[in-house]
Amino acid sequence: MIEVLIFATLNGLVTGLLLFMLASGLTLIFSMMGVLNFAHASFYMLGAYFAYSISLYLGFWPALILAPLLVGVLGALIERYGLRHVHKSGHVAELIFTFGLAFLIEEVVQFFWGRATKDYRQPEILDFPLFTLFGQNFPAYKAFMIFISVGIFIGLYFVLTRTRIGIIIQAAITHPHTVGNLGHNVPFIFMMVFGVGTALAGLAGVIAGPVLTTFPGMAVVLGSIVFVIVVIGGLGSLIGALVASLLIGLLQSYAIAADVGMPELLNLLGISFESGHFLDDLWNLSLPQIAPLLPFLLLVLVLIFKPTGLFGKRET
Amino acid sequence: MAILSLRNVSKNFGITQIIRGVSLDIEQGEKHAIIGPNGAGKSTLFHLISGRYELTSGEIFFKDSPIHNKPPYEIARLGLARSFQVTNIFPMMSVFENIRCSLLWAMGYRYSFWHMVNRERRLTEKTEQTLDQIGLHDKRNFPAGELAYAEQRALELGVAIASGAEMILLDEPVAGMSMTEARNAVALIRKITEGKTLIMVEHDMNIVFDLADRISVLVYGEIIATDVPERIRSNARVQEAYLGEVTSDA
Amino acid sequence: MLKSAVVWILFAVLLLLLPQLADSVFAISIYNQMAISIVFALSYNMLLGQGGMLSFGHAVYFGLGGFLAVHALRLIEYETLYFSITFIPLIGGLFGLLAALFIGSFSTRKAGTVFAMISLGVGELIAASSLILVSFFGGEAGISGDRTFGPPLFGADFAQDLEVYYLAAFWTFLCVLFMYLFTKTPAGRLANAVRDNPERAEFIGYSARKVRFISFCAAGFFAGVAGGLFAINYEIITEENLNAATSGRVLLMAYIGGLGFFIGPIIGAIVLTLINSVLSNYTDLWMLYLGLMFVLTVMFLPRGLTGFMMMHRMAWHLGKLRLLLLPYTITAIPGSLLFLSLVAMIEMSHTNNSEFIFLGMGFDPAGWTSWLSLLVVAAIAFMALRLSLPGLKKAWAEANSQETEH
Repeated sequence: MIEVLIFATLNGLVTGLLLFMLASGLTLIFSMMGVLNFAHASFYMLGAYFAYSISLYLGFWPALILAPLLVGVLGALIERYGLRHVHKSGHVAELIFTFGLAFLIEEVVQFFWGRATKDYRQPEILDFPLFTLFGQNFPAYKAFMIFISVGIFIGLYFVLTRTRIGIIIQAAITHPHTVGNLGHNVPFIFMMVFGVGTALAGLAGVIAGPVLTTFPGMAVVLGSIVFVIVVIGGLGSLIGALVASLLIGLLQSYAIAADVGMPELLNLLGISFESGHFLDDLWNLSLPQIAPLLPFLLLVLVLIFKPTGLFGKRET
Repeated sequence: MAILSLRNVSKNFGITQIIRGVSLDIEQGEKHAIIGPNGAGKSTLFHLISGRYELTSGEIFFKDSPIHNKPPYEIARLGLARSFQVTNIFPMMSVFENIRCSLLWAMGYRYSFWHMVNRERRLTEKTEQTLDQIGLHDKRNFPAGELAYAEQRALELGVAIASGAEMILLDEPVAGMSMTEARNAVALIRKITEGKTLIMVEHDMNIVFDLADRISVLVYGEIIATDVPERIRSNARVQEAYLGEVTSDA
Repeated sequence: MLKSAVVWILFAVLLLLLPQLADSVFAISIYNQMAISIVFALSYNMLLGQGGMLSFGHAVYFGLGGFLAVHALRLIEYETLYFSITFIPLIGGLFGLLAALFIGSFSTRKAGTVFAMISLGVGELIAASSLILVSFFGGEAGISGDRTFGPPLFGADFAQDLEVYYLAAFWTFLCVLFMYLFTKTPAGRLANAVRDNPERAEFIGYSARKVRFISFCAAGFFAGVAGGLFAINYEIITEENLNAATSGRVLLMAYIGGLGFFIGPIIGAIVLTLINSVLSNYTDLWMLYLGLMFVLTVMFLPRGLTGFMMMHRMAWHLGKLRLLLLPYTITAIPGSLLFLSLVAMIEMSHTNNSEFIFLGMGFDPAGWTSWLSLLVVAAIAFMALRLSLPGLKKAWAEANSQETEH
């Protein structure tokens, strides 16, 4: 029982921190530019694919550095020549643009890399169990993932609160016009923030690719969850994104590990059902089955009862 | 008989108190102007009366019913209409459509999805009438967003008065207009508010003294004087609020 | 009044005569697809174009309507119920309406990003739930039915696609008519007002939330009807018809067609059905082209195809449309060359054959001469295109100016 709890917590932590890497970029972009970047998970996918191709020639470690950079540059270009153009047509148009972008990127990835899953492997140097507890291994690579994620969070926090550019960004988040009037090149800042946000997503892809498999549908899998996180945590709040990411990561991990089903719960209450009833499926639900549903359920509940999310101040 | 009563109305934004205990009675049929320095809270007061903001404390009564903290649409249905300082029309709809929509509730149409608006004779007639009144008959098919500024202000006025509300709140109706345009707008306001109660926020003193029966002066969220124009003009506190200390050789 | 009646009569006549134009099995199946897509896309535009509500989960009402419709087909088949399948789309519509009443009760408070997110969440929730609730939704395989049971209509038992076409055409006509009439009602007009300025709409006496709710339910109803038509046509419905991909597709249709016009989604539905069925026969990469088309439309033609056509209205009124004929041709030639050479390069890089045939010309994918020649053509075409643009701009200004020609 307790080893299930420990491993579920660790796995939840890995997932949660990974989700945070994606959610933090999305939050930054939304805070600054008011755009909910639908294609954010697509940059995550590009990161994985770029890293895969680079690692074929140069190995994992150069890919770890180069792939996120490439993704960031691509993101900045898309902001400069695509999103900015659409900006004047309003928020709805921007959302539709990023939506179309997500669609397009998925097709482009399939065009260049094909539809099959790519054999993107973790580096051999990390391919060992870090520790063994009660007979179960915890891979070193997952610890590496945690390490990188935490490092990113600390770095982000440091840049935003201790450096000059970070302060400017924080100001531009709530008062873009004022910041512009002070002489800062706000469009340039926007482009950089978009680039950094997408680079973070790319980095998440680089380290997640070997574990969560690299295939053209990987953006879709994570995309909606990341939105859920950003909304639940509160649009525009990095702390909220962190809390929500960990919450969702752990929730899913526990739900899958618990493997408790409705029948057990109902038995506890002394109720039993005959099978063959057409609501059978409902009564036979198990926690692992509804695990993928939980984030969306949470999303809808939060949006109904507390649209600003857990920590947010803005309601879009 | 007071058609609108404000009793000790206060509004805070965070810890800042914008409106501090305003009490005011407006008589039916009265033309009342609210003046005051910038930032005094005039627009905020309008927002409180028309339901855009919630009161922090106090009460507002319209025709003896409480309207404080009611949603705007309920207040509008009671017969209170307002215009906005920053033009707030329906930009993608035609001028005709803007006015027609403003008439719907007053002419008895609720959320109907079975009436064809084009076939409703009385509705169309009333829309044409209103368009004539505000002088936008020629531009009836233009998208509202494409009108010139003064025309948009006229439309803004039209949307507010179309429903035939008994009490009309106008927030700086002639802001940004040239002298001629403002003069025409004032004539229009005078014409369409005949027999109705009017509350107006305005900066132009000529217009204020021309139109108003009584004037209230709002300074830092408080009404420091309510009186007929002549007495307001000579009120020392009012002068002080606008000009600072009244110097002896001013 | 007379003029608009004529348009509707023509529309009905067109629908009746369409099979005469082309009656191959392929053509009829395309007509049916178009009918379903038209109703679906128009229902979506009630939300977005007319109501200002961007939904990423509209397929829910389409799918739910379709599922109940297929179950109804099965009930007819197993003789639990006995009524003509003519009413099936109505059943789909009613279920869509029911779902919209429930979901709309909490999701229409705000428009904008919050609404979009709720619609996404609800859509994903329902799509995921559908895989779990196997008895109603049939799991991954979905639910299938047979439309040939029940009382025949005028002797038709709907075994043939052509018979289905006339049924679909009938329902399409009704739906288009009613959705059009809705835009002319107070509820429809207020939907526009709330879209443009929800705050001001409240100040003229209407609750923005209630107005949105009405549009939302109407849109759900018609989406359900489209789902019912789908069920009759394909006799099977799956989770795919509820999911985000289908929601995305209807957004695409409405947007490319043009959100701001009633016929926009109709045009979008027709164009996208054609791309979907015809283009996919010529290339595996049609989805890529679709994606490119979508992004380029958002960037350069934000008002869609209909918007592009309507841009010419002024010139047409002035009788100066022919001034654009030559400049358009001058721009179209390098434009087409650029387009074709790019397509050739994209297609060639994906071919497995040793020879690549494009428009009757043979290319060698392995040799560098083919690539070079295509690149050169593309480059020249691009430059020629850029050179032609100032002339086009000038002609455009002239065609739209009120001055008389001298």
